[in-house]
Amino acid sequence: MRLTIKTAVLATIFAAGLTAPALAQDTLKLPNMSYRTGPFAATGTPHMNGQLDYMTMLNERDGGINGVKVQFDECETGYNTEKGVECYEKMRSEGALVTQPWSTGITLQVLPRTNVDKIPMYAPGYGFSAMQDGKTFSWAFNPPTSYWDGASMIMNAISGDNLDSLKGKKIALLHLDHPYGKEPIPLLEALAAKHGFELLLVPVGMSEMQSQSAQWLQIRREKPDFVLMWGWGAMNGGAITEAVKTRYPMNQFVSIWWGAHEPDLSLVGDQAKGYRALSWNFADSDSKLMQDVKKYVVDAGKSQINQAGGEFDTTAYQRGILMSVIMAEGVRAAQDLAGTPNIDREQLRGGFENIKLDDTRLAELGATDMMAPFSTSCANHTGHAKAWMIEWDGSKFVKVTDLLTADRAEIDPLVEKAAAAYAAANQPWPINDACTD
Amino acid sequence: MLYRVAGQFKTSYQADYALFPVRQDAWLLVFILLLAFVVFPMTANEFMFRAMLTPVLIYSLAALGLNILTGYAGQLSLGTGAFMGVGAYACYKLVTIFPEMNIVVAIFLSGFFSAAVGVAFGLPSLRIKGFYLAIATLAAQFFLVWLFQKWAWLYNYSASGAIQVPNIKLFGVTVAGAHATALTQYYFVLCVVCVVTFLAINLTRGRIGRIWKSVRDMDIAAELVGINLMKAKLTAFFVSSYIVGISGALFVFLWRGAAEAELFDIQLSFKVLFIAIIGGLGSIMGNFLGAILIVALPVLISFVPGLLGLPIGAAMVEHLNVMIIGMLIIGFLIVEPHGLARFWAMIREKLIIWPFPH
Amino acid sequence: MEFIHPILIKPFADMVSAPDFLVQVLWEGIVSGVLYALIALGFVLIFKSSRILNFAQGIMVVFAALTLVGLYERGVPAWLALPLTLGVMLVLAIGIERVVLRPLVNQPDIILFMATIGITMFLIGLGETIFGGENKRMITEELGIPTGNFIFEPFGGFVSIEQKDLTAVIGAVVLVVVLLLFLNKSKMGRAIRALGDDHQAALSVGISLSTIWVLVWFIAGIIALATGIVWGARAGVSFALEVIALKALPVLMLGGLESVSGAIIGGLMIGILEKVFEIYWGQPLLGGSTESWFAYVLALLVLLARPQGLFGEKIIERV
Repeated sequence: MRLTIKTAVLATIFAAGLTAPALAQDTLKLPNMSYRTGPFAATGTPHMNGQLDYMTMLNERDGGINGVKVQFDECETGYNTEKGVECYEKMRSEGALVTQPWSTGITLQVLPRTNVDKIPMYAPGYGFSAMQDGKTFSWAFNPPTSYWDGASMIMNAISGDNLDSLKGKKIALLHLDHPYGKEPIPLLEALAAKHGFELLLVPVGMSEMQSQSAQWLQIRREKPDFVLMWGWGAMNGGAITEAVKTRYPMNQFVSIWWGAHEPDLSLVGDQAKGYRALSWNFADSDSKLMQDVKKYVVDAGKSQINQAGGEFDTTAYQRGILMSVIMAEGVRAAQDLAGTPNIDREQLRGGFENIKLDDTRLAELGATDMMAPFSTSCANHTGHAKAWMIEWDGSKFVKVTDLLTADRAEIDPLVEKAAAAYAAANQPWPINDACTD
Repeated sequence: MLYRVAGQFKTSYQADYALFPVRQDAWLLVFILLLAFVVFPMTANEFMFRAMLTPVLIYSLAALGLNILTGYAGQLSLGTGAFMGVGAYACYKLVTIFPEMNIVVAIFLSGFFSAAVGVAFGLPSLRIKGFYLAIATLAAQFFLVWLFQKWAWLYNYSASGAIQVPNIKLFGVTVAGAHATALTQYYFVLCVVCVVTFLAINLTRGRIGRIWKSVRDMDIAAELVGINLMKAKLTAFFVSSYIVGISGALFVFLWRGAAEAELFDIQLSFKVLFIAIIGGLGSIMGNFLGAILIVALPVLISFVPGLLGLPIGAAMVEHLNVMIIGMLIIGFLIVEPHGLARFWAMIREKLIIWPFPH
Repeated sequence: MEFIHPILIKPFADMVSAPDFLVQVLWEGIVSGVLYALIALGFVLIFKSSRILNFAQGIMVVFAALTLVGLYERGVPAWLALPLTLGVMLVLAIGIERVVLRPLVNQPDIILFMATIGITMFLIGLGETIFGGENKRMITEELGIPTGNFIFEPFGGFVSIEQKDLTAVIGAVVLVVVLLLFLNKSKMGRAIRALGDDHQAALSVGISLSTIWVLVWFIAGIIALATGIVWGARAGVSFALEVIALKALPVLMLGGLESVSGAIIGGLMIGILEKVFEIYWGQPLLGGSTESWFAYVLALLVLLARPQGLFGEKIIERV
């Protein structure tokens, strides 16, 4: 019991040490929950590197955002929800302006807290699709586009914009058996019921990610007309290898953006030719944006990326860069609205609702054609950026479609229902009825 | 001097059987309770509550449950995580089916569900022993987690497949859900843990506890002196799973706020087993010491590079943390295989005769 | 009687109607069974000689494979990386014996089991510190393992057998034969078995405990490397591999903790049965992913009938 006392004393000292720096606010504290370890590190690391490197670049090139340096700390979660709680509390007590949970599981835990703790949550391209409803989810943001948008765009692309042509066909959803992987199911089920195609769910457990032979045997037996993939981490590489092995036609295999990850595909190279992924970003290493990152960060030796492995050119790394670009735009908007470069959480929330990334702004940033333009508003926390279908040609990804559009008429009623259900389950839940647009 | 037991005479059997026959032990307990009930709530901040104090208490309770099975009755189990899950899902169903139900009642009821499942998976222990039994409990671990994932009724058919704790009030104060303050939740958990620990201490001191210990030490001999092995083992599974189930319900409702099936995977079972073993098998206090070491220490370690100003990345801190915990476990096992509780017992022995060692 | 049809009739009808698919399922089962058997073999060897249930076998697989790939990525040619990795595994075996096992001699089984979990955590941290956490490609071609496919087209369908899987199966068979020869014919092998039978008797005839332990852990390391190469070639090398160690535990229950042949037959049995169950019963009736628990439940049922496992030595209890 001596130990108890000793630890308690130690803990109190640490706690005192923790609260002190929370008062100082001369930097923009925009920490990230990273996972550079664990089974999901494979796709996590390049994204986190990208996010970090853009913020480093802003600090190096412009001295921060509007003169205030960005402090982009990382807290390692290993995709573990328990660490997520710890990281959330730690960052909040250190005065973070935003929380970036980086896992749908952690998002689930943190989302109800954001309302109480009044801290914006930034989940670019992941999290709940229903978070687009800014009335219900005042503090959560998932720009530039949601999973339901993605699912709708994929369905439009594979059906040639005529979903009725899928009647009687069989579409398999190969997904991680986890809140993230289950995210598109409600929309796909609604579409299946309406347009008369059969939806076959093929879940992949966390422990089966690397050996999906049972799943692919099922796919071989059921012979679906299309396989959609909602995978993450080691699962994507495993699926692509198995698809090659079972001789599943690659041009019928489509993934959500996380599956657009070059290292997974270069494992099989030419054999994966024709594999497509829906991506809201497109890698362009020659753009001004990327060249600046290269000049100020990578060449200056301030990046953690694996240069020999060609990480700089990957879609995932550049997607990470764009995630930070969007966040920096939110911060800028907040600073403009508040009239001061030193913003607080409430002001940052306002900034995230006023992101305007149009073509002119993208050109200024040097990111033309790296992503589609979008803007957010009080009621629209996603922005619904359009996305491209990109195809693996054996050595790199190429754009094979124009920008695709999601079917709002299908998605919005579902969002409304899901948001209402969420609010009902978490009573008392504040609804911001002031939002109209 | 400080811990002199000489002069404390017992004049009745009752005094001899008291929970703390030595006065100083009782004072120490009062001091610790004072610390837990008064000093911590006054000094700690929210991070301390949510990242250290509350989880330490909840993990201690889970380890206490496991310790009754493994430490007192000698049945090794690797399915603790899943039994915690049964408690959590049972509590979730109770709270959503009967929204009017008092949360305390729901939590104590949910323990019965995990107890029932525990007894069912404890049945093989009548035929299987040692490591074979340990691996058999893994069947429970994997099967139950699979069930949490596939049985949509358990999570009320929610699209994400996860359970989300609603805001629940107790006597007008929100105790569970996002609106609950860390302090309320801490007090709630602390009270539950105190009650269960008190009951567990008395249970293990009494007749049932002695039966368990005799089964642990030599089951055939215990059978020969007339102990019903089946009853002894199954009661151990029942009581153990009951406490583990309560801890699981607290784990989700009073701490995490949301849970998906993977939360209750094998890693959780191992973590609880670590706490029980590092703390000391067959000891109640050990669970608390073990939980402090396994749950709170990594949190503290992750602050060290920051405080020292070492330029180490977040990932590297995590890697080093895992390594250090691994080394600590091996180190503790080598230095004192009977756990931290034995350490304290030795210190206490020394204190009693101090300053005259002979 | 409605429910009987999908359980008892339809699966078999499916098997007969698509025999090429059944062959493919069986082959996939055999390949995973071989892997389970290899890991279980590592467990059995260590348990036989020291009564330790070595939970670290899974992480040793990852560590060996990572070392091999990591060395290659740092510019060491493949032919040299292989022996160097073996050297690392030897150092690891010596280190574990010195630091962990020797001070823990004569402790209860559960303490030693926990110590191996401690080793697991230490190796996870060490491996991630040195090699990083991302998924790596196994250097299959560089090691001279063929990567093509054999395509057979019996019964009008097709069966694809990957050459690397075939190599894995053949390699595993060779490894097992060599191991059995070593255990049964060589002096050292007999010493290992003697130690397994009776510690004190073995010590009293002059068998060195520490040498044998180092040797056994080194052999387990070699098996881990072989497993790592085979599994890594299928799915890449990353820490997610660690979970396959858990798959070997039901094999041990089924085959018995001390039986080499039990590990092999148990591994193959579980590999095949869980695949067949998942495809024909699990996916259509139970929503899939039954492979995570099927092996455990099967082993549990077998144990209820035969508590010492299918091939374990009969336990006679005396008071």
